[in-house]
Amino acid sequence: MKKLGIIVVLSIFSFSTAMAQLVKVDQEVFGMDCAPCAYGLERGLKKMDGLQSVKVSLNDGKAYLKLAADNDLSLQKIQKEVKNNGFSARSAEVTLNGELVNDGNKWSVSVNGETFKVSLDTPDDILTKLKPGKVQLIGRVKDEEDDGLSNTWNIRITEVL
Amino acid sequence: MKRTALLILLTITAISKVSAQGHGPLYGLQTPTLAKGGFDFNAAAMSLATEDDQSFMLRYIWSYGVTEDLQINITTPTMVNRLSEAPRTRGNNNMPANGDIEASVWYRFFSNAFGVGKRFESTAILSVSTPTEETRGGINLSNSIHGAISTGYASRTWYAWVGGGYQYYFEKDNDQLGDLPYASLVVGYRPNIFMGDYPKPDWRVFLESLAEFPGASMNEGQISPVDQRGKKVMIGPSFLGLYGAWGISFGALFPVYQNVVQDPQERYRLSMNISYWL
Repeated sequence: MKKLGIIVVLSIFSFSTAMAQLVKVDQEVFGMDCAPCAYGLERGLKKMDGLQSVKVSLNDGKAYLKLAADNDLSLQKIQKEVKNNGFSARSAEVTLNGELVNDGNKWSVSVNGETFKVSLDTPDDILTKLKPGKVQLIGRVKDEEDDGLSNTWNIRITEVL
Repeated sequence: MKRTALLILLTITAISKVSAQGHGPLYGLQTPTLAKGGFDFNAAAMSLATEDDQSFMLRYIWSYGVTEDLQINITTPTMVNRLSEAPRTRGNNNMPANGDIEASVWYRFFSNAFGVGKRFESTAILSVSTPTEETRGGINLSNSIHGAISTGYASRTWYAWVGGGYQYYFEKDNDQLGDLPYASLVVGYRPNIFMGDYPKPDWRVFLESLAEFPGASMNEGQISPVDQRGKKVMIGPSFLGLYGAWGISFGALFPVYQNVVQDPQERYRLSMNISYWL
Protein backbone atom coordinates (compact mmCIF):
# COMPACT_ATOMS: atom_id res chain seq x y z
CA MET A 1 0.00 0.00 0.00
CA LYS A 2 2.87 2.31 0.96
CA LYS A 3 4.64 1.41 -2.31
CA LEU A 4 1.50 2.19 -4.26
CA GLY A 5 1.28 5.56 -2.52
CA ILE A 6 4.84 6.40 -3.51
CA ILE A 7 4.13 5.43 -7.11
CA VAL A 8 1.03 7.61 -7.19
CA VAL A 9 2.91 10.58 -5.71
CA LEU A 10 5.80 10.15 -8.15
CA SER A 11 3.38 9.80 -11.05
CA ILE A 12 1.60 13.00 -10.10
CA PHE A 13 4.93 14.78 -9.68
CA SER A 14 6.30 13.60 -13.03
CA PHE A 15 2.99 14.41 -14.74
CA SER A 16 2.99 17.95 -13.40
CA THR A 17 6.64 18.42 -14.45
CA ALA A 18 5.90 17.07 -17.91
CA MET A 19 2.96 19.41 -18.27
CA ALA A 20 5.02 22.59 -18.35
CA GLN A 21 7.27 22.08 -21.32
CA LEU A 22 7.64 22.31 -25.05
CA VAL A 23 6.85 19.04 -26.77
CA LYS A 24 7.51 19.80 -30.44
CA VAL A 25 8.79 22.84 -32.32
CA ASP A 26 8.74 23.38 -36.09
CA GLN A 27 10.92 26.47 -36.33
CA GLU A 28 10.90 28.50 -39.53
CA VAL A 29 14.41 29.58 -40.55
CA PHE A 30 15.07 32.26 -43.16
CA GLY A 31 18.36 32.72 -45.02
CA MET A 32 19.58 29.12 -44.91
CA ASP A 33 20.66 28.20 -48.44
CA CYS A 34 23.21 25.39 -48.41
CA ALA A 35 24.12 21.99 -47.01
CA PRO A 36 26.79 23.25 -44.56
CA CYS A 37 24.27 25.83 -43.32
CA ALA A 38 21.84 23.03 -42.50
CA TYR A 39 24.63 20.89 -41.10
CA GLY A 40 25.83 23.70 -38.83
CA LEU A 41 22.34 24.48 -37.59
CA GLU A 42 21.52 20.83 -36.99
CA ARG A 43 24.75 20.35 -35.08
CA GLY A 44 24.19 23.51 -33.04
CA LEU A 45 20.67 22.49 -32.10
CA LYS A 46 21.78 18.96 -31.21
CA LYS A 47 24.17 20.40 -28.65
CA MET A 48 21.23 21.62 -26.60
CA ASP A 49 20.07 19.42 -23.77
CA GLY A 50 16.52 18.17 -23.84
CA LEU A 51 16.11 17.19 -27.46
CA GLN A 52 14.83 13.85 -28.69
CA SER A 53 15.44 14.50 -32.39
CA VAL A 54 16.30 17.28 -34.83
CA LYS A 55 15.77 17.43 -38.57
CA VAL A 56 16.67 20.42 -40.72
CA SER A 57 15.12 20.95 -44.14
CA LEU A 58 16.69 23.39 -46.58
CA ASN A 59 13.76 23.27 -48.97
CA ASP A 60 11.17 23.86 -46.25
CA GLY A 61 13.43 26.36 -44.47
CA LYS A 62 12.60 24.71 -41.19
CA ALA A 63 14.12 22.95 -38.22
CA TYR A 64 11.91 20.19 -36.86
CA LEU A 65 12.56 19.52 -33.18
CA LYS A 66 11.04 16.83 -31.00
CA LEU A 67 11.78 17.48 -27.38
CA ALA A 68 12.55 14.89 -24.77
CA ALA A 69 10.36 14.25 -21.77
CA ASP A 70 11.19 16.50 -18.81
CA ASN A 71 13.13 18.98 -20.92
CA ASP A 72 13.66 22.56 -19.85
CA LEU A 73 14.28 24.01 -23.30
CA SER A 74 12.80 27.33 -24.18
CA LEU A 75 11.77 28.74 -27.55
CA GLN A 76 14.08 31.66 -26.87
CA LYS A 77 17.05 29.31 -26.58
CA ILE A 78 16.11 27.56 -29.82
CA GLN A 79 15.73 30.84 -31.72
CA LYS A 80 18.99 32.15 -30.25
CA GLU A 81 20.79 29.12 -31.65
CA VAL A 82 19.30 29.83 -35.07
CA LYS A 83 20.55 33.41 -34.85
CA ASN A 84 24.02 32.26 -33.73
CA ASN A 85 24.24 30.30 -36.96
CA GLY A 86 23.70 33.47 -38.95
CA PHE A 87 20.06 32.92 -39.91
CA SER A 88 16.79 34.51 -38.98
CA ALA A 89 14.35 32.61 -36.77
CA ARG A 90 10.79 33.43 -37.84
CA SER A 91 7.46 32.01 -36.73
CA ALA A 92 7.26 28.58 -35.16
CA GLU A 93 4.61 25.95 -34.79
CA VAL A 94 4.79 24.55 -31.28
CA THR A 95 3.14 21.83 -29.32
CA LEU A 96 3.35 22.55 -25.63
CA ASN A 97 2.14 21.51 -22.23
CA GLY A 98 1.54 24.30 -19.76
CA GLU A 99 -0.63 26.07 -17.26
CA LEU A 100 -3.34 28.13 -18.93
CA VAL A 101 -4.32 31.21 -16.95
CA ASN A 102 -6.88 33.91 -17.55
CA ASP A 103 -6.08 37.45 -16.49
CA GLY A 104 -8.86 39.85 -17.40
CA ASN A 105 -9.99 37.97 -20.49
CA LYS A 106 -6.40 37.57 -21.65
CA TRP A 107 -5.21 34.02 -21.82
CA SER A 108 -1.64 32.96 -21.43
CA VAL A 109 0.35 29.76 -20.95
CA SER A 110 3.49 29.54 -18.87
CA VAL A 111 6.15 27.05 -19.97
CA ASN A 112 9.66 26.76 -18.56
CA GLY A 113 9.89 30.42 -17.62
CA GLU A 114 8.34 31.60 -20.87
CA THR A 115 4.91 33.12 -21.30
CA PHE A 116 2.87 32.43 -24.42
CA LYS A 117 0.12 35.04 -24.71
CA VAL A 118 -2.86 33.75 -26.61
CA SER A 119 -3.43 36.13 -29.51
CA LEU A 120 -6.85 37.46 -30.38
CA ASP A 121 -6.75 35.98 -33.86
CA THR A 122 -7.13 32.54 -32.31
CA PRO A 123 -10.38 31.11 -33.72
CA ASP A 124 -13.40 31.90 -31.53
CA ASP A 125 -14.45 28.27 -31.27
CA ILE A 126 -11.12 27.56 -29.59
CA LEU A 127 -11.14 30.67 -27.40
CA THR A 128 -14.58 29.90 -26.01
CA LYS A 129 -13.49 26.43 -24.97
CA LEU A 130 -10.40 27.52 -23.04
CA LYS A 131 -10.40 26.75 -19.35
CA PRO A 132 -7.81 27.64 -16.71
CA GLY A 133 -5.52 24.81 -15.74
CA LYS A 134 -3.21 22.36 -17.37
CA VAL A 135 -3.44 22.20 -21.12
CA GLN A 136 -1.73 20.71 -24.14
CA LEU A 137 -2.08 22.74 -27.28
CA ILE A 138 -0.71 23.39 -30.74
CA GLY A 139 -0.21 26.92 -31.95
CA ARG A 140 1.74 29.21 -34.22
CA VAL A 141 4.13 31.48 -32.35
CA LYS A 142 4.47 34.81 -34.09
CA ASP A 143 7.77 36.14 -35.34
CA GLU A 144 9.74 38.42 -33.02
CA GLU A 145 12.82 40.48 -33.83
CA ASP A 146 15.90 38.26 -33.53
CA ASP A 147 17.80 40.99 -31.72
CA GLY A 148 15.09 41.57 -29.15
CA LEU A 149 14.01 38.13 -28.06
CA SER A 150 12.32 37.98 -24.67
CA ASN A 151 10.57 35.30 -22.70
CA THR A 152 7.17 36.48 -23.86
CA TRP A 153 5.56 35.30 -27.10
CA ASN A 154 2.27 35.69 -28.90
CA ILE A 155 0.67 32.43 -29.94
CA ARG A 156 -2.29 31.74 -32.19
CA ILE A 157 -3.76 28.50 -30.92
CA THR A 158 -4.79 26.15 -33.70
CA GLU A 159 -5.74 23.12 -31.64
CA VAL A 160 -6.31 22.19 -28.03
CA LEU A 161 -5.44 18.55 -27.49
CA MET B 1 54.84 14.86 -63.88
CA LYS B 2 56.90 14.63 -60.70
CA ARG B 3 55.70 18.09 -59.75
CA THR B 4 52.06 17.13 -60.33
CA ALA B 5 52.44 13.97 -58.26
CA LEU B 6 53.99 16.00 -55.45
CA LEU B 7 51.13 18.47 -55.63
CA ILE B 8 48.52 15.71 -55.41
CA LEU B 9 50.38 14.02 -52.57
CA LEU B 10 50.65 17.22 -50.58
CA THR B 11 46.97 17.98 -51.16
CA ILE B 12 45.90 14.54 -49.98
CA THR B 13 48.12 14.90 -46.93
CA ALA B 14 46.61 18.25 -46.16
CA ILE B 15 43.10 16.94 -46.60
CA SER B 16 43.66 13.97 -44.34
CA LYS B 17 44.78 16.25 -41.54
CA VAL B 18 41.79 18.50 -41.51
CA SER B 19 39.04 20.19 -43.41
CA ALA B 20 37.93 23.70 -44.58
CA GLN B 21 35.69 26.58 -45.63
CA GLY B 22 34.52 27.33 -49.14
CA HIS B 23 30.93 28.23 -49.08
CA GLY B 24 30.94 30.61 -51.99
CA PRO B 25 33.00 31.39 -55.05
CA LEU B 26 36.58 30.34 -55.49
CA TYR B 27 38.12 33.56 -56.80
CA GLY B 28 35.69 36.38 -56.20
CA LEU B 29 34.71 38.17 -53.04
CA GLN B 30 31.83 36.69 -51.05
CA THR B 31 29.82 37.51 -47.94
CA PRO B 32 29.02 34.43 -45.80
CA THR B 33 30.55 34.24 -42.36
CA LEU B 34 30.75 31.32 -39.98
CA ALA B 35 28.31 30.56 -37.19
CA LYS B 36 29.16 31.86 -33.74
CA GLY B 37 31.79 29.50 -32.36
CA GLY B 38 32.07 27.77 -35.75
CA PHE B 39 35.43 26.62 -37.00
CA ASP B 40 36.49 25.52 -40.40
CA PHE B 41 39.52 24.55 -42.35
CA ASN B 42 40.32 24.84 -46.03
CA ALA B 43 43.11 23.25 -47.99
CA ALA B 44 43.62 24.54 -51.49
CA ALA B 45 45.86 23.64 -54.40
CA MET B 46 46.47 26.62 -56.65
CA SER B 47 48.35 27.27 -59.83
CA LEU B 48 48.96 30.38 -61.87
CA ALA B 49 50.40 30.16 -65.36
CA THR B 50 52.11 33.00 -67.18
CA GLU B 51 53.58 33.11 -70.65
CA ASP B 52 56.93 32.03 -69.12
CA ASP B 53 56.30 29.80 -66.14
CA GLN B 54 53.73 28.22 -63.82
CA SER B 55 53.42 28.41 -60.05
CA PHE B 56 52.13 25.64 -57.80
CA MET B 57 51.05 26.25 -54.26
CA LEU B 58 49.15 24.65 -51.45
CA ARG B 59 47.35 26.99 -49.13
CA TYR B 60 45.53 26.46 -45.87
CA ILE B 61 43.05 28.71 -44.14
CA TRP B 62 41.74 28.35 -40.64
CA SER B 63 38.63 30.33 -39.79
CA TYR B 64 36.72 30.95 -36.58
CA GLY B 65 33.38 32.62 -36.04
CA VAL B 66 33.67 35.02 -33.11
CA THR B 67 30.03 35.91 -33.61
CA GLU B 68 27.67 35.02 -36.44
CA ASP B 69 28.78 38.25 -38.13
CA LEU B 70 32.47 38.40 -37.24
CA GLN B 71 35.00 35.89 -38.49
CA ILE B 72 38.76 35.73 -38.12
CA ASN B 73 41.02 33.85 -40.53
CA ILE B 74 44.63 33.01 -41.00
CA THR B 75 46.01 31.55 -44.19
CA THR B 76 49.44 30.14 -44.85
CA PRO B 77 51.04 28.92 -48.07
CA THR B 78 53.24 26.01 -48.98
CA MET B 79 55.00 27.09 -52.16
CA VAL B 80 55.85 24.21 -54.47
CA ASN B 81 57.06 26.33 -57.35
CA ARG B 82 57.33 30.13 -57.25
CA LEU B 83 57.29 32.34 -60.30
CA SER B 84 60.48 34.31 -60.80
CA GLU B 85 58.43 36.97 -62.58
CA ALA B 86 55.11 37.01 -60.78
CA PRO B 87 52.16 39.01 -62.04
CA ARG B 88 50.73 41.56 -59.62
CA THR B 89 47.59 39.88 -58.35
CA ARG B 90 46.02 38.40 -55.28
CA GLY B 91 45.02 35.52 -57.51
CA ASN B 92 42.23 34.36 -55.29
CA ASN B 93 40.63 37.07 -53.18
CA ASN B 94 39.87 34.91 -50.18
CA MET B 95 43.17 33.07 -50.19
CA PRO B 96 45.98 34.91 -52.00
CA ALA B 97 47.77 33.02 -54.75
CA ASN B 98 51.06 34.66 -53.85
CA GLY B 99 53.37 33.59 -51.02
CA ASP B 100 51.92 35.79 -48.30
CA ILE B 101 50.82 34.67 -44.86
CA GLU B 102 47.63 36.60 -44.24
CA ALA B 103 45.45 37.24 -41.20
CA SER B 104 42.04 38.73 -41.81
CA VAL B 105 38.84 39.81 -40.16
CA TRP B 106 35.50 39.50 -41.95
CA TYR B 107 32.65 41.56 -40.62
CA ARG B 108 29.19 40.97 -42.03
CA PHE B 109 27.76 44.41 -41.33
CA PHE B 110 24.44 43.90 -43.07
CA SER B 111 22.22 40.86 -43.33
CA ASN B 112 18.61 40.56 -44.31
CA ALA B 113 17.22 37.05 -44.43
CA PHE B 114 13.88 37.71 -46.05
CA GLY B 115 12.72 34.31 -47.21
CA VAL B 116 13.29 30.57 -47.14
CA GLY B 117 16.90 30.21 -48.26
CA LYS B 118 17.06 33.86 -49.31
CA ARG B 119 19.19 36.66 -47.97
CA PHE B 120 20.96 39.86 -48.87
CA GLU B 121 24.17 40.57 -47.01
CA SER B 122 27.29 42.71 -47.07
CA THR B 123 30.69 41.95 -45.63
CA ALA B 124 33.83 43.99 -45.08
CA ILE B 125 37.27 42.41 -45.01
CA LEU B 126 40.42 43.79 -43.46
CA SER B 127 43.65 41.86 -43.63
CA VAL B 128 47.34 42.15 -42.96
CA SER B 129 49.92 39.97 -44.60
CA THR B 130 53.59 39.22 -44.51
CA PRO B 131 55.51 37.63 -47.38
CA THR B 132 57.36 34.33 -47.20
CA GLU B 133 59.88 35.35 -49.85
CA GLU B 134 62.44 38.15 -49.90
CA THR B 135 61.63 39.44 -53.36
CA ARG B 136 58.82 39.12 -55.86
CA GLY B 137 59.56 39.91 -59.47
CA GLY B 138 62.87 41.44 -58.39
CA ILE B 139 61.23 43.83 -55.91
CA ASN B 140 62.09 43.65 -52.20
CA LEU B 141 58.95 42.59 -50.38
CA SER B 142 57.41 44.01 -47.23
CA ASN B 143 54.19 43.56 -45.31
CA SER B 144 50.92 44.68 -46.79
CA ILE B 145 47.39 45.62 -45.82
CA HIS B 146 44.27 44.73 -47.70
CA GLY B 147 40.70 45.88 -47.44
CA ALA B 148 37.65 44.77 -49.39
CA ILE B 149 33.93 45.02 -49.32
CA SER B 150 31.36 42.80 -50.96
CA THR B 151 27.63 42.56 -51.10
CA GLY B 152 25.45 39.85 -52.47
CA TYR B 153 22.34 37.76 -52.70
CA ALA B 154 21.99 34.10 -51.84
CA SER B 155 19.06 31.79 -52.41
CA ARG B 156 18.47 28.12 -53.03
CA THR B 157 18.75 28.70 -56.78
CA TRP B 158 20.67 31.89 -57.55
CA TYR B 159 23.67 33.63 -56.09
CA ALA B 160 25.32 36.92 -56.96
CA TRP B 161 28.12 38.85 -55.33
CA VAL B 162 29.82 42.07 -56.32
CA GLY B 163 32.77 43.55 -54.52
CA GLY B 164 35.96 45.50 -54.66
CA GLY B 165 39.21 45.65 -52.75
CA TYR B 166 42.56 47.30 -52.43
CA GLN B 167 45.96 45.97 -51.38
CA TYR B 168 48.87 48.14 -50.40
CA TYR B 169 52.43 46.91 -49.89
CA PHE B 170 54.76 48.95 -47.72
CA GLU B 171 58.16 50.12 -48.87
CA LYS B 172 61.23 48.06 -48.07
CA ASP B 173 64.85 48.96 -48.88
CA ASN B 174 63.78 51.52 -51.47
CA ASP B 175 61.54 48.98 -53.18
CA GLN B 176 57.78 48.81 -53.11
CA LEU B 177 55.31 46.60 -54.91
CA GLY B 178 52.63 48.55 -56.69
CA ASP B 179 49.22 48.79 -55.11
CA LEU B 180 46.37 46.63 -56.34
CA PRO B 181 42.80 47.85 -56.68
CA TYR B 182 40.46 45.14 -57.93
CA ALA B 183 36.81 44.30 -58.40
CA SER B 184 34.96 41.02 -58.60
CA LEU B 185 31.59 39.88 -59.87
CA VAL B 186 30.22 36.39 -59.34
CA VAL B 187 26.97 34.78 -60.41
CA GLY B 188 26.02 31.33 -59.16
CA TYR B 189 23.29 28.84 -60.03
CA ARG B 190 22.13 25.59 -58.50
CA PRO B 191 20.46 23.36 -61.11
CA ASN B 192 17.13 21.71 -60.29
CA ILE B 193 18.69 18.26 -60.10
CA PHE B 194 20.68 19.43 -57.07
CA MET B 195 17.70 20.83 -55.23
CA GLY B 196 17.43 17.70 -53.13
CA ASP B 197 16.99 18.43 -49.46
CA TYR B 198 19.68 18.20 -46.78
CA PRO B 199 21.56 15.89 -46.24
CA LYS B 200 21.69 15.14 -49.98
CA PRO B 201 24.72 16.47 -51.89
CA ASP B 202 24.43 20.05 -52.97
CA TRP B 203 26.18 21.33 -56.12
CA ARG B 204 26.29 24.73 -57.73
CA VAL B 205 28.15 26.41 -60.55
CA PHE B 206 29.60 29.91 -60.57
CA LEU B 207 30.69 32.24 -63.33
CA GLU B 208 33.43 34.32 -61.77
CA SER B 209 35.14 37.44 -62.99
CA LEU B 210 37.94 39.58 -61.65
CA ALA B 211 39.20 42.96 -62.81
CA GLU B 212 42.62 43.97 -61.50
CA PHE B 213 44.49 47.24 -61.88
CA PRO B 214 48.03 46.78 -60.52
CA GLY B 215 50.02 49.92 -59.93
CA ALA B 216 53.64 50.35 -60.96
CA SER B 217 56.25 49.03 -58.54
CA MET B 218 59.13 51.07 -57.19
CA ASN B 219 62.62 49.64 -57.67
CA GLU B 220 65.61 51.19 -55.87
CA GLY B 221 63.63 54.34 -55.23
CA GLN B 222 62.59 54.72 -58.84
CA ILE B 223 59.08 54.24 -60.11
CA SER B 224 59.08 52.13 -63.24
CA PRO B 225 59.67 54.24 -66.33
CA VAL B 226 56.35 52.94 -67.52
CA ASP B 227 54.35 54.56 -64.76
CA GLN B 228 51.08 53.11 -65.88
CA ARG B 229 48.48 51.11 -64.04
CA GLY B 230 47.95 47.67 -65.54
CA LYS B 231 44.52 46.38 -66.47
CA LYS B 232 43.40 42.80 -66.47
CA VAL B 233 40.03 41.06 -66.68
CA MET B 234 39.76 37.35 -65.92
CA ILE B 235 36.65 35.21 -66.32
CA GLY B 236 35.99 31.56 -65.71
CA PRO B 237 33.77 28.89 -64.20
CA SER B 238 33.98 27.26 -60.81
CA PHE B 239 32.03 24.43 -59.24
CA LEU B 240 31.14 23.90 -55.61
CA GLY B 241 29.95 20.62 -54.15
CA LEU B 242 28.76 20.34 -50.56
CA TYR B 243 27.89 17.31 -48.52
CA GLY B 244 27.32 17.60 -44.80
CA ALA B 245 30.38 19.20 -43.28
CA TRP B 246 32.45 18.80 -46.45
CA GLY B 247 32.87 20.97 -49.46
CA ILE B 248 34.93 20.77 -52.61
CA SER B 249 35.33 23.48 -55.19
CA PHE B 250 37.42 23.79 -58.30
CA GLY B 251 37.64 26.17 -61.18
CA ALA B 252 39.72 28.23 -63.54
CA LEU B 253 40.06 31.82 -64.66
CA PHE B 254 41.21 32.92 -68.10
CA PRO B 255 42.18 36.39 -69.25
CA VAL B 256 39.79 38.11 -71.60
CA TYR B 257 41.68 41.40 -71.51
CA GLN B 258 45.26 42.19 -70.45
CA ASN B 259 47.24 45.37 -70.61
CA VAL B 260 50.10 44.79 -68.23
CA VAL B 261 53.22 46.40 -69.61
CA GLN B 262 55.30 45.77 -66.48
CA ASP B 263 54.17 42.26 -65.52
CA PRO B 264 54.17 39.01 -67.45
CA GLN B 265 50.98 38.08 -69.28
CA GLU B 266 48.82 35.51 -67.52
CA ARG B 267 47.50 32.43 -69.28
CA TYR B 268 45.24 30.91 -66.63
CA ARG B 269 44.65 30.34 -62.94
CA LEU B 270 43.59 26.99 -61.54
CA SER B 271 42.35 26.28 -58.07
CA MET B 272 40.90 23.41 -56.09
CA ASN B 273 39.70 23.75 -52.53
CA ILE B 274 38.60 21.25 -49.90
CA SER B 275 36.58 22.55 -46.99
CA TYR B 276 35.54 21.06 -43.70
CA TRP B 277 33.30 22.70 -41.14
CA LEU B 278 34.24 21.54 -37.67
